[in-house]
Amino acid sequence: MKHLIESQFDKLRPLFEEGGKLNWAWPLFEGQETLFLTPKHKTKAGAHVRDRMDMKRLMIFVLYALAPALLFAFYNVGYQGFLAEGVANPSFAQAVPRGALAMLPIIITSYAAGGIAELVFCVVRKHEINEGFLVTAMLFPLTLPPTIPLWMVAVGIIFGVVIGKEVFGGVGMNILNPALTARAFVFFTYPAAISGAGVWDVGGKDLLSSGPVTDGYTGATPLLAASSGAPGSDAVKLITEAGWSYQDLALGLIPGSAGEVSSVAAALGAIFLVVTGIASWRIIVSCIVGLLAMAAVLNGFAGPESVSMMTLPPHYHLVMGGFAFGAVFMATDPCSSAVTPTGRLIYGFFIGVLCVLVRVVNPAYPEGMMLAILFMNVFAPLIDYFVVKQTTKRRQARMAAAA
Amino acid sequence: MPDHALRKGLDIPIAGQASGEPVQLDPPSTVAYSPTEFRGLTPRLDVREGDTVERGAPLFHAKASPEIKFLSPVTGRVKEVRRGRRRVITDLVVEVTDATAAGVQFEAVDLNDADAIRRALQQRGQWAAFRTRPLNNIPSADSTPQAILVSATETGPLMPGPDVLIGEADKEHLTRGLAALAKLGPVHFAVPKGSALASAAGSAQTHTFSGPHPAGDPQVQVNLVCPPKGDGEVWYCKAWDVVEMGKVLAGGSFPNERVYAAVGAGVAQPRFVKAILGSPLADVVGSAKGEQLRWIRGSVLTGQAVDADRWVSHFKRAVHVLPDEVESELFGWALPMFGLWSFHKTFLKSFLGPGGPVDMRPGVYGGERAIVPIGVYAKVMVSPDILPEFLFKSIVANDLEEAIQLGLLDMTEEEAALCTYICPSKVEFDELLKKGIEMYEKEA
Repeated sequence: MKHLIESQFDKLRPLFEEGGKLNWAWPLFEGQETLFLTPKHKTKAGAHVRDRMDMKRLMIFVLYALAPALLFAFYNVGYQGFLAEGVANPSFAQAVPRGALAMLPIIITSYAAGGIAELVFCVVRKHEINEGFLVTAMLFPLTLPPTIPLWMVAVGIIFGVVIGKEVFGGVGMNILNPALTARAFVFFTYPAAISGAGVWDVGGKDLLSSGPVTDGYTGATPLLAASSGAPGSDAVKLITEAGWSYQDLALGLIPGSAGEVSSVAAALGAIFLVVTGIASWRIIVSCIVGLLAMAAVLNGFAGPESVSMMTLPPHYHLVMGGFAFGAVFMATDPCSSAVTPTGRLIYGFFIGVLCVLVRVVNPAYPEGMMLAILFMNVFAPLIDYFVVKQTTKRRQARMAAAA
Repeated sequence: MPDHALRKGLDIPIAGQASGEPVQLDPPSTVAYSPTEFRGLTPRLDVREGDTVERGAPLFHAKASPEIKFLSPVTGRVKEVRRGRRRVITDLVVEVTDATAAGVQFEAVDLNDADAIRRALQQRGQWAAFRTRPLNNIPSADSTPQAILVSATETGPLMPGPDVLIGEADKEHLTRGLAALAKLGPVHFAVPKGSALASAAGSAQTHTFSGPHPAGDPQVQVNLVCPPKGDGEVWYCKAWDVVEMGKVLAGGSFPNERVYAAVGAGVAQPRFVKAILGSPLADVVGSAKGEQLRWIRGSVLTGQAVDADRWVSHFKRAVHVLPDEVESELFGWALPMFGLWSFHKTFLKSFLGPGGPVDMRPGVYGGERAIVPIGVYAKVMVSPDILPEFLFKSIVANDLEEAIQLGLLDMTEEEAALCTYICPSKVEFDELLKKGIEMYEKEA
């Protein structure tokens, strides 16, 4: 099997190599070959032996970490669709195909449209395919509502890949997380398709629909429900009245962006990423600390005249909206986060703080994680700048004091 | 006695460890020097092709300091001066005519006379064992060090350590050498934790080191013990080279026997040998196995690949023969790959341990990418307060001033090589470090 594949690639290689007819498509060939076979080229300079780990393996492991969130998205999208139509307890076998039917076109569109953008850049700029795209194109659909029109998915991912990443020089050079850049683009350009109450379920809209949406079903997300109460009302009461328990919120059996609803799925991904050493535990932990701290502070200021979100307890903030998913998969993007260990603690902490601030203080957006991360992406180099300055000073002082 | 127990770093579990007592080799037919292995040295020949030389007579000297001489290990005839690109001398080959000749006789040196010690070490071919921090050059003949670090530790992959290289009979020479060095500058003596060598220290300040590679690297030890201050320089050398210094200071014939290790999966029988300085690689290795092989003087991390018909290094006491063929794996990037070990926790064996020596090949195992900083480099960095991601980015950007600020001159070769080894983006940090240092030398 291996030898068969190897010989096929060896046969085709001269066509794509320097001087071959299809030399312009070398990144395409190289991408295909390394998809099947690990590269065979030898070390020429530097250390003679190298570790087996490479960027492809790193990125595929992020995809593995996304598996729980993806599978849960399939289930919950179907589940919420039936719920909207008044089917009380849809079975697993009913829900998953329906969710898959809604999600797969979005995911395929994301990979296809983004992939073409990525390939064009590879061919024009003559670099190998950046496998970071595999992650970007999977993260993006999971942050979208399942009812999003496919053309918006295509436009969004192309914007994310080109403006979020390629114009800076590809993976490793980007300042913003490309998947979040794509989402922010869709969020601000087509707000009606990605915010409000009506977009979070596929009820009454798709092929597997069991009937029209029942009267009185609002389709609001818990965050929207918690923020739309009268001043002074209790946020937890609003959520309970809407029919959700804390367990529902944590498990993710709620309307919301397809992959972001389940904090449990995100936690599973977090464990996998931290154990394999791919994501920084510092960022995840400091995000949580920042969120809990800021929420607790705002709780302290809640009064009879304040908005209902002020009263939302810290542990509710933790499991609502896209916080868990963002903290695990978006904030930890090593390219757009701070790099220094201390910098990562500061960076994560302020993501948590800003997330709560946007949710509570800004009346326009019930969810703040996307904006918090993008904002801190921009500040990450500045944080690093100060940490690096500090480290340099410490090293020089140590050198001067020694001996 | 300050103790340095280091936790960060990596011992690469590569196969081909040498074992047993050193095997005494028959005298070789040729011996050779590679002047290119002494960084910063421009050689001026004292002999011509066809000349006869005595054991202990000079073959060449440093152009910048003619006192720094390199001596013939044997009595013989200069057979060949091999030159490489731009007529750089790559090998100075001496044909052995009399393997047992005593050659030039040295007189014993007064160990209280600093000038006499300095002169003797220079003229008796020992000076090149010293290297300077920060640039790793051979010190100039009249320079004074802020400190001298003598390292009796070795943690490089499959490199022979003090237990093999320093025999019981060598200890008195080591003590004499250390006492002599103390006349040139304050001496720090680094030994493995629990080693009996500490008793040879004399007046030197002893430090114990333990932990994975690069804990045994003298450049790292300089950073931790006695970093150079201001424009000054610190010298370092290996304790087994100080043994040779001790011998020449005692007088007699030029000591021309060394212990070398023949290691790696390409060596049929990995072993230690006692051989004449500068012996042919093939003599030291014995029989190699496999068709395609890479012959490396030194370790797989920082050694230099050379043709098989050349000679051993003068100061790197190992020859690593690495099978030079790389197989590809089907879908290797996505599968668990139960058989493979990696420093990164993305393979099953990364958790269980390699389970014995690993048959490594010189594959890159991935395409070169931009640095994706997942924080791995810090796991092999022992030198304090250096941030490799930032340092190397500044070198790539040709920003010398920034690079110096970030520790270009404190970064060590072994740490850079370890960063290269573990880098998932396959960036060659050791090459970047060389580039940065060259940039610095050009400006200075």
